[in-house]
Amino acid sequence: MDFARVWAYSDMIIEGLQVTMLASVIALLASLFFGTLVAVMRISPFKSLNWLGSAYVEFFRNIPLLLIILSVFFIFTPKGWIAGTIGLTIYTTAFIAEAIRAGIQSIPKGQMEAARSTGLTYGQAMILIILPQAIKVVIPPLGNQFLNLVKNSSLLAMVAGGDLMYQADLISSITFKTMDTYVFIAGFYLILTIPLSFLVKYLEKRFALSG
Amino acid sequence: MIVFNKVNKYFGDFHVLKDIDLTITKGEVVVVIGPSGSGKSTLLRCINHLETISDGSLTVNDIPVNDKKTDINKLRRNIGMVFQHFHLYPHKTVLENIILAPMKVLGKSEAEAKETAKKYLEKVGILEKADSYPSQLSGGQQQRVAIARGLAMSPEIMLFDEPTSALDPEMIGEVLDVMKTLAHEGMTMVVVTHEMGFAKEVADRIVFMDEGRVLEESKPSEFYENPREERAKLFLSRILNH
Repeated sequence: MDFARVWAYSDMIIEGLQVTMLASVIALLASLFFGTLVAVMRISPFKSLNWLGSAYVEFFRNIPLLLIILSVFFIFTPKGWIAGTIGLTIYTTAFIAEAIRAGIQSIPKGQMEAARSTGLTYGQAMILIILPQAIKVVIPPLGNQFLNLVKNSSLLAMVAGGDLMYQADLISSITFKTMDTYVFIAGFYLILTIPLSFLVKYLEKRFALSG
Repeated sequence: MIVFNKVNKYFGDFHVLKDIDLTITKGEVVVVIGPSGSGKSTLLRCINHLETISDGSLTVNDIPVNDKKTDINKLRRNIGMVFQHFHLYPHKTVLENIILAPMKVLGKSEAEAKETAKKYLEKVGILEKADSYPSQLSGGQQQRVAIARGLAMSPEIMLFDEPTSALDPEMIGEVLDVMKTLAHEGMTMVVVTHEMGFAKEVADRIVFMDEGRVLEESKPSEFYENPREERAKLFLSRILNH
């Protein structure tokens, strides 16, 4: 393995690393927000919202991510990394919505009843009582989704997103050191994902302690 | 104050409440008893719209509970509820459990809500636990916090759904004492319970239910000594002779 040859293109690698991180963080925050929204829609007392939420989840989690990213790219924006980040968000939202829905439904019904019977609205009860408890249950599956998200961001390469994978493709086609390049780049993905894994474990412990 | 008029309630095909006619006046303490599955809890839960009635009419302070135009959240401010399994918020301290609704629903300031909360915690005898989490309290203490949480909204009506059924025998007394105090202070109370001592001491009326019907309504002394209905006699003989 000749990693020195690959590292000669360090500026490209660093740039790719930055794009991957930026795309991941944006998609993570956005899919957490939209995922919560879709989850609440799915369990809300309104039938039309239930249907809309279910339709979203079933559609987007059952088609390939690549297809979503390509569609956004060709229909909405020719900027690869933006199309990729939007596609990632659309896709991950479906999975996060499912994880959060399961978490919400694991909270005993009595909590909602107790909150509502003091006069809180459904929304207030959800935000103040149910979601803070659900988040503990949801951390491990969310962690999984976030790790998948970072790895899935490699599909940005398919729309010239400028991410780590895209740079790896370029470097390997310049150097013809295909294996060396991809193995080296795998190390950078691990640099991103392993700390994230530990962060999830830490959060799990911390939330377990707080009552 | 609370008026059931020909109220029926179905869960799917199951007819839970059958032609309920019941009037509860201000300041009255009504104890609802009956075998399990007789519809007592459902009756109670209809009053604050945790369950919807299928037909008939149900009003609280002349406001129809099941009317679409009724602001149910506003109605519920006036009706406190205490559950069998307490349902305290486990991620909040005792004090936070109590001040939440007064702040979010009534718009009280934190200082004001805390002051009220402490007053009620003192009333139920566990002011020293204000900063504990529910999981650190005994069942009896948790239930007293739940009562304080209900009272903090200054409701005119308090509903109790088997408030002592999930408690260790030793802790039942402390919860009943709080409820007795409330009753003596003139709170309108509807209580689903089998606690006969409580019923005899403070109830104005016993409502006996079986298979979704109100079979008998009478004063506690009459009911326990001389029930009119056969089913009530059988029920009493069973709960007395175990």
